[in-house]
Amino acid sequence: MNNFQDSVFNIYHYISEESLQLIFKVALIIVITLPFLYILRGWAKRFFTKKYAPHYGMLAGKLVFYSGLIIMLVTVMGELGISLAPLLGAAGIVGIAIGFASQTSVSNIISGLFLIAEQPFKVDDIITINNTTGIVMSIDILSVKLRTFDNQFVRIPNEMIIKTEVTNVTRFPIRRFNGVVSVAYKENIGRVRELLMEVAEKNKFSLSEPEPLIIFDAFGQSSIDLRFLVWAPREDFIQLKNSIQEEVKAKFDEEGIEIPFPHVSLYAGSASEALPIKMVNKSDELADNENKESSN
Amino acid sequence: MNENIWGNISLIDQGKRYFSIGDLHLWLAYQNDEIWISYAYESDLEGPVDRDHPPKNAEWSRWAHKISSSELNIRPVFPDLPLVVHSEYTLKISPKTQIQIYTRIPIWVRISIADNDYQLIELPTAKLSRTWFGTPTEGELCYHAVTKARRDLSDVEQKPYLVSCPITISNRSEGELNFEHFCFRVERLSMYGYNNAFWADETQIIFQGEDLNSDVIMTGKLYDGITKDQLLSPPRKNIQKSLATRTFKIFEDALTFGR
Repeated sequence: MNNFQDSVFNIYHYISEESLQLIFKVALIIVITLPFLYILRGWAKRFFTKKYAPHYGMLAGKLVFYSGLIIMLVTVMGELGISLAPLLGAAGIVGIAIGFASQTSVSNIISGLFLIAEQPFKVDDIITINNTTGIVMSIDILSVKLRTFDNQFVRIPNEMIIKTEVTNVTRFPIRRFNGVVSVAYKENIGRVRELLMEVAEKNKFSLSEPEPLIIFDAFGQSSIDLRFLVWAPREDFIQLKNSIQEEVKAKFDEEGIEIPFPHVSLYAGSASEALPIKMVNKSDELADNENKESSN
Repeated sequence: MNENIWGNISLIDQGKRYFSIGDLHLWLAYQNDEIWISYAYESDLEGPVDRDHPPKNAEWSRWAHKISSSELNIRPVFPDLPLVVHSEYTLKISPKTQIQIYTRIPIWVRISIADNDYQLIELPTAKLSRTWFGTPTEGELCYHAVTKARRDLSDVEQKPYLVSCPITISNRSEGELNFEHFCFRVERLSMYGYNNAFWADETQIIFQGEDLNSDVIMTGKLYDGITKDQLLSPPRKNIQKSLATRTFKIFEDALTFGR
């Protein structure tokens, strides 16, 4: 019985001592290298984020990690006695086959390289692509990941970004709010300008320079339209947009400036004569009816 | 200013305290081992100020600190951003000319725990609007201020919320310097107390020409009669004594902003 157990459970019957040593060696390489790579990636990410920007931190982290991973794999394969030459040869043949099948992925990778080199945006920038606006979470080999303001995750392939118009909302430090203010034709435009400048001056998010501008835009159908252009630091832009329009409304209400809505005039056949309206006094009509009834 | 605001004050002895300086109204209180601070500006008040209670639209902020200290330190400091100072009347400085002007700017009030100087809050004594100094693609955020650019301050009424800053401007260019506005980097200045007024050390600006940076030098020179012992607050940025930077020029083409 003991002989049987020895022969079944003795590992050396299945695997040689050299193989065990090799497995131990490979495991040791993986166990030491992987945590080291994670630490190195974290360090590179922190260093480049602090020194340059989060965008560079993320790129440096990935570069360090994947380079290390490739070196580790080559070392492990060397230890296992797997020659790289036939593998690379086979990879060439397989590569052609895969290349045909994965044109989109390759295109995305190359587009990703262009994105990294051209830098139309960085991690943490706010961008608009087609109708999607969001904060850039990461710029990866195949795609760019965005988080929209209603907290949705959007993955956009790099190839599409290269082909499409991209608006970087936060590239520059200041932004202009382009408001349109409509006032009634009867209003004094000089006075309206003064009031708008006063509102811009008092708004805590607006900048004094570049100076706010008020441009006479058009004689509208029902109103005179003015463009009200006010600058703000990019981080205060939303607050400016939100507050200044409310303040304009409040100021106009306070000063009795009319903000008109579309007016439509109706004429009965002739533009020169007003629509004829007959005024009927209901109480008089009732009294007449009562008199008629009593006389009957 | 109704009562001396500067220095150490104890809240436990007198409960709630009220101060006013410039446009700032300040209420301080100590209760349940917490420091309570509320403030309002003159423009926010709808009627006369109530010294016992802040107005309804002013909220209290609370601080709980590891040291239960009721003693606060209040001191004047320079604004936390540079100032773009506009001259009320344009001053033209001829080539190869050096002048000294004085500009007075509103101070900030810094409130800290007296025991360990832990900073609680900083408040301006006057509401200043913000402005941009630079181009649309790069520049710096500043406060906007107006100066009379006086040549002499001897006949000027003292205001407890203003700090007087002597500035020497040297026009070393071949052209005229049209002094309408300049970027005043106050974060590099120290503040001194002298004759119940606040003074800054001297700034020297050397204008080299329209297309060149100006040299801004913090000479450290003090106004006559002031000594180093009268220092109230050191510079916010204690770095190099001089820098070459854009000081007089803002935007090359303002017209493009309207498009």
